[in-house]
Amino acid sequence: MSHNITTIRPRLVTKDKSLADVSNEICRPIENKPSTTWKIGFTLAVIFFGLLAFTLALTTLVGIGTWGLNKSVQWGWDITNFVWWIGIGHAGTLISAILLLFRQKWRMSINRSAEAMTIFAVLCAALFPLFHMGRVWVGAYWVFPLPNAFGSLWVNFNSPLLWDVFAVSTYFSVSLVFWYLGLIPDIATIRDRATTKGRKFWYNFFSMGWTGSTRTWNRYEVVSLILAGISTPLVLSVHTIVSFDFATSVVPGWHTTIFPPYFVAGAIFSGFGMVCTLLIIARKVLNYEDYITIGHLEAMAKVLMLTGTLVGLAYITEFFVAAYSGVEYEQYAFLNRATGPYWWAYWSMMTCNLVAPQFFWMKWARTTPWFIFFLSIVVNVGMWFERFVIIVTSLHREYLPSGWALYSPTWVEIGIYLGTFGMFFTFFFLFAKFLPVINMAEIKTILKDSE
Amino acid sequence: MNDKKLSLRNNKKVLFGIFEDGDSALEATQTVFNRGVNIIDCYSPYPIHGMEKAMGLKRSRLPIGAFVCAMTGLSLAIILQAGIMYFDWPMIIGGKPYAGIPSWIPVMFELSILCTAFGIAILFFARSGMIHGKIANEIIDPRQTSDRIVLAMSLDEAGINTDELVKLLSDKGAVEIRQRVNLDNNEFEDNVIK
Repeated sequence: MSHNITTIRPRLVTKDKSLADVSNEICRPIENKPSTTWKIGFTLAVIFFGLLAFTLALTTLVGIGTWGLNKSVQWGWDITNFVWWIGIGHAGTLISAILLLFRQKWRMSINRSAEAMTIFAVLCAALFPLFHMGRVWVGAYWVFPLPNAFGSLWVNFNSPLLWDVFAVSTYFSVSLVFWYLGLIPDIATIRDRATTKGRKFWYNFFSMGWTGSTRTWNRYEVVSLILAGISTPLVLSVHTIVSFDFATSVVPGWHTTIFPPYFVAGAIFSGFGMVCTLLIIARKVLNYEDYITIGHLEAMAKVLMLTGTLVGLAYITEFFVAAYSGVEYEQYAFLNRATGPYWWAYWSMMTCNLVAPQFFWMKWARTTPWFIFFLSIVVNVGMWFERFVIIVTSLHREYLPSGWALYSPTWVEIGIYLGTFGMFFTFFFLFAKFLPVINMAEIKTILKDSE
Repeated sequence: MNDKKLSLRNNKKVLFGIFEDGDSALEATQTVFNRGVNIIDCYSPYPIHGMEKAMGLKRSRLPIGAFVCAMTGLSLAIILQAGIMYFDWPMIIGGKPYAGIPSWIPVMFELSILCTAFGIAILFFARSGMIHGKIANEIIDPRQTSDRIVLAMSLDEAGINTDELVKLLSDKGAVEIRQRVNLDNNEFEDNVIK
């Protein structure tokens, strides 16, 4: 075979790993007792998960009145958090699907954990609208197209909120299928290395009899490509539809055509922020610095810079369009965002999302893990503020000044939000303990320069 | 089906060449395939690009299945929405027509994707004979899912004698060569040649 060896690009996996090294190093956390760091982290996560259970129980038993929402601001922290978590999820699909279509091989070290992040983030997101419906026990089935005999009328397919139900549930299930399919070869690897009875049984159960046959690989690659092909428009559609929840209304500040691309760029931005946050910790704690190299971090930093700037451009465009539209209500909505009672949220959003990522023009900033980590947190905070600004500052002063009101969350709402972090990290810690954090089969294809 | 005839079970004698890296396994496969040896399968921990061509495999027809699934999802969405919004319980919502087709597009799209994803996964598992809890019978070397590549060839109608084939495989870099004889009572005997 002829090999095309490129010397321009740095290698994706450093230190000349052999196939066996990859299996040994990536299976290490699964085959050994959990480390102290893992135990501490997991315990903390479970405590916060408990907080989620408590605050949600309170919301259900006492009612939605435990939240700080009022007649004007009917959507507050809950929908902010919903959009924020959904957005976080988008990076996983972007990395595994869009970068697969573009044949970007640096995705291979990070796609597994990013997809896991997607699934857990969507689970966290789904809680918010579900519990906001108040009576969860009926809300859980009211969203489905059930006949009128069930007590409510048929669902309304003209409503973007219903499209959202379909979009988010499709997104969750398709991501799960994609993730699981990618896991099967690696689960088989663990199965064949397993030494204990329990591990042999469970990994055998989930490996579905995988042998690594070329006939199966041949089909497997076709299936991966199809799933990537359909996930790409899917991921764009999900945040587009989330943006329709706002854009199809007549609320000043929401009623804009720029919302779909603006939300998708923001979703990718916040998702990459979270991927950086998680992976910079994971590569250190699990000792995966040869797999998730500075090169990977730099590539993600570049994506952050690009999408951050896109989001910033959208903020400015929105402002301009409002001014240019000649509609007083629109103009006031934007002026109120920047100078009204919630000015601090607006300017936090601007600083964190538009200004902060500009540091990544410098090579030093893109290649220094602690700095990327710091900025990734800033990005996550900024994107949370973006949703808060869009939702709360638009609702609190609508058309009639008699309906104007201020909103601040109660401790229950804050507890639910912190609790979803507990849930997210509980799942993430379990994932890091029981499943390979890096896709071994894919990494093995890029060990040699010939690939 | 070609696949059915060439399984590890249906051949009296099977030769396994075990390799340490993909490139040498690929070269060996190309060589033995060109010599007319029937290749049963090649087991590898990762997809080796070009291996399916070297083994003479055809392109999978799964994309056709995916398309059928997508169309099923699309039809389902149209039937569901038209059934509810137009036939069963027409209501005027915001002055929109009963058949407000543009606002049905998001759900049509989502259901097409949903059906394609689940459909293609189920078709893939069915076609590859994969199911939860299945015991992987074709594990020749436990390291074939980790760091070894196993090339399985049928010796029944090979146009080449075994010694020559063994020599060819070792020249191409096989680290281990084994011969398997399938016995009548569903059992087999493995002999390590090299």
